[in-house]
Amino acid sequence: MIVAFFFLTGMTLVSALGVVVSRNVVHSALFMSGSFLGIAGFYVMLNAPALAAFQVLIYVGAVTVLMLFGIMFTQRPQARRYRTIINRQFWAGLCVAAGVGGFLAYVLSAEDWGGLQAGNGPRQVAALGRDLLGVSSGSEIFVLLFEVASVLLLVAIVGAIVISRRKVGEGIDSRVEE
Amino acid sequence: MPPRVQQLIDALTATPPLEGYLVVGALMFAIGGWGVLIRRNAVVVFMCVELMINAVNLTLVAFADYLPNAGGLGVSYAVLVIAIAAAEIAVGLAIVLAVFRTRRTVNVDEITSMRG
Repeated sequence: MIVAFFFLTGMTLVSALGVVVSRNVVHSALFMSGSFLGIAGFYVMLNAPALAAFQVLIYVGAVTVLMLFGIMFTQRPQARRYRTIINRQFWAGLCVAAGVGGFLAYVLSAEDWGGLQAGNGPRQVAALGRDLLGVSSGSEIFVLLFEVASVLLLVAIVGAIVISRRKVGEGIDSRVEE
Repeated sequence: MPPRVQQLIDALTATPPLEGYLVVGALMFAIGGWGVLIRRNAVVVFMCVELMINAVNLTLVAFADYLPNAGGLGVSYAVLVIAIAAAEIAVGLAIVLAVFRTRRTVNVDEITSMRG
């Protein structure tokens, strides 16, 4: 277990650093999917296999493809020099990030969690489903959250279409005589 | 089997403590925040926001698995967070595409029309 933990830790953190410092935007997207795969491995170790499957399907599959589409549409002249990729706050940002990360890591490891044992998660997919639909005791709020999430997804779909829609007569249409 | 080999095998097969997962989540969150602060490309900024969301998800799931009183509900919260992050990505990339269409750039330092 500890071997898998260190392997996944290295994979996740190195890929996350690769997203930030890589010169090529497509490489950033691929590093991001590697980092998400590491997180999916952590979910398997943490007794959440259904969530690991969601992670692979949604993040490694859908979000990476969406990011690659965004890159293809927007990166016509690809920036190559670090001057144009990274702004002037490189060292200040590094200090802030190291401060935040170091402080969080210190607080979380200094806290006495008191001899906890793993294995309390919903290993069965049926248990996760009962939790999500608010059937099991203690999870009644999830009925509301589930409905709110569905409405939010509908609003997001409509909003994405409305924002990115091209009106008739704009762009490539404007050069054509009617 | 000699006791030292047995000790080594025990150390290799031990389950990692809760702090391990939490520290990994904190470091990943910090790396994502660093990327949001320093990168100029809006699409890469989105990727770093996704990294931060995933770090928080990892923390939620680690708590759900280790804390006995959590009842495993952190996994359900993680599912909701994934749904909301997917919605955010869809709307965010639509905004990036709209900005690119009007300004021909996705450099977040050049988009200053709302500066006071």
